[in-house]
Parts: sequence; C-alpha cells; structure tokens
Amino acid sequence: MSEDEAAALEDLLRRGAGDASVALSKWLGRPATIAIKRLDRLPLEAAADALGSSAAPICVAAMTISGSVDGVLLLACDDASGLALCDMLLERPAGSATTWDEVERSSVLETANIIGCSYLGGIAAAARGGAAGLVPSPPLFVRDFAAAVMGGLLLERAATRDAVFVARTEFVVGGTPIRCALVFVPDAESLRDIEAGLDAGRSPP
Amino acid sequence: MTPAADQPPPSGRFHGDAIGMGDLRVARDGGTLRTFLGSCVGLVLHDRKRRAAGLAHVMLPDSQGRDGPPGKYADTALAELLRLLDAVSAAGRTGLVAKIAGGARMFDFSAGTPIGDQNVLAIERILDGAGIPIVGRDCGGRHGRRMSFDVESGVVTIEAIGIETKTI
Repeated sequence: MSEDEAAALEDLLRRGAGDASVALSKWLGRPATIAIKRLDRLPLEAAADALGSSAAPICVAAMTISGSVDGVLLLACDDASGLALCDMLLERPAGSATTWDEVERSSVLETANIIGCSYLGGIAAAARGGAAGLVPSPPLFVRDFAAAVMGGLLLERAATRDAVFVARTEFVVGGTPIRCALVFVPDAESLRDIEAGLDAGRSPP
Repeated sequence: MTPAADQPPPSGRFHGDAIGMGDLRVARDGGTLRTFLGSCVGLVLHDRKRRAAGLAHVMLPDSQGRDGPPGKYADTALAELLRLLDAVSAAGRTGLVAKIAGGARMFDFSAGTPIGDQNVLAIERILDGAGIPIVGRDCGGRHGRRMSFDVESGVVTIEAIGIETKTI
C-alpha cells in the first residue's frame, strides 16, 4: 500500500470512527467520541503489542463480520474502563460494577455490536460500494492477557501477511478518556477490495 | 542472567522482561525468560550441564523459505536456539531437553486445523527429528498463558487468567 493509499485509508477510518461516535453517544445517552489517533504499518509480530504487553488482563468482545466486508472486530478495554462503560449503560453510580457478571458481559457485547457495525459501515461502502448486508456473528467475551488475545487474532486471520495496519483509537465519554480500543482485522479478500476501493476513490471522474 | 554474547540485540519486541512474538532469547547462569502466549507456542531448550537455556516465541509452523525473525517459525527457531546455545558455551550438547507451552485456540472463528495445533505439531516433529525430548508441556485450551522459565532450576511456570498457576 502506497503512502497515498495509507492516507486514504486513515481518512476512511476517521469517517468510520465518526459514525461509531454517533452510535456510541446514542447508546450511552451522553456525548462520546471515538477518534483515530494514528495509523501505523507494523510487522505482524510487532502488532501483537497493540493492546499492551503487561500481565494485566483485558476484556474483549470479539465477533466476525461478513457481507460487504469480512473480518474480525474486537472491542477491547481494561477492566476498569469496561466496567465503567457498563455502569453508564445500566445507569448505575460509577464504581457499581466490580466483576464481569452476566449483565456486564452482555452490556459490553452489545456495545461492541453497535459501534462495530457503525465503524465498519463506511469501510464497507468504500470496499464494495455499499454498507448493506453487514452481518455480525454473535460476539464472544474473552478476558485474557492482551498479547495473547492480539496474537491469537492475528494468527487466525492474518498469519500469511508480513505486516498489518494498526489504527490507534481514543475513546472519550462525557469528557473523560477511557481505555478502550476498536480493532478490525479484514480477511485477505476484503483487504484487497478496500485497497481497490481506495484506488478508485482517488481516480479522476 | 548473563545474556549470550552472540545473540542479536534486544529488539522492539522485547518489552521489559517479556519476549515478544517471533522473538527468542538465550541465557546462562540463572535468570528468568518470559513470554505471553495465545495461539503461539513457547519453546524452551534447556541444557542443565552447560547451565544454558533459550526460549523462542514461535508464531507459525513453517517458514517455507520466507524471511522473518528466526524465532517466528518452528523450523528456524530451533536452528537459531541451537546456534545461540552453542555460542554461549563451547561444551558439547548433552542432555538437552525441551518444554513447550501455548498453542491455544483463542477464538473459534476459522474452520480447519487451528493454527495453535499446527504450531504444536510442527514443534513436536522438529524436536523429534533433532532427537530432543519434550519433558514438559502445557498446550491447547482456549486461554492465554504467561510462560516463565527459570534458567537455574529448569522449571517453567505457567500463569493464566482465572486458572491456577502450574509448573512443568
């Protein structure tokens, strides 16, 4: 991917993040933004640390997306941020949620579903000319070491690639930054379609 | 821990005391080697007589001639570990043993043989071909692991979220 294509991809992701921000704001009932801070091209082995490399666990809502684009999407948070999101959703005082019980898990899974599909809508439109038909799988809840989660995801969906693009996201809810990340790993065919869509978008009419 | 003089300098994938994906490290005379594992496999080679050991974080079963960090593939990782162990001690290889961990199926999104299982099988085959016995293992499942290898004792400690710590 050339520098121009990478810049176009970053622009595309920013638009997707804008759509996801609107969805998250509606879902939480308060202002929320998801911003793309930086787009990096990293060797596959280095991308495993994108969510951190400490021994502290992270919680992840993971789902496959099929249709206009295919791939795997993750919403990843540290425990404190994920549980804080749950309290907002459930309209409970901050600090009410302390463990990942059924209701907290369901909350974060549904959040991933809503903002993930919004985020990917713009990407799908660029890839294959329309966002219609994005079908998410039932999301899975995983709580594990960050490096193990990312490593497992990358090997399952991107093992044949030498490098991947990592978009760093920043979540702000009600004016407060929270430590969450949105990760999308497209399948090889979808990645090619996205690149082709970026090329077409830059061509003169 | 005494780092091997001949090993490559710490890369960007060596964070604190944890060896990153596709990386490897050798040490002698004590210390601890650590890595986080999901579908990848941690391969420890331990030569108690030479008081030397190495740990590779293997991502994929076969290099198929591709370039990359030597620790990334099962075939190149073993060869590089053996080369570095020879470099830290002139004594011949005797009593070399292996321990492996990882190879989990972190997600259930793909059909076919999971990459973690492929990694474990490839390492078993390569070690068998080299005549190096596997004396300890903790592989499979659906959870990540933190693998810590004590070079002095040869003990591997496996930690996982929500699972009792074990040693192999």
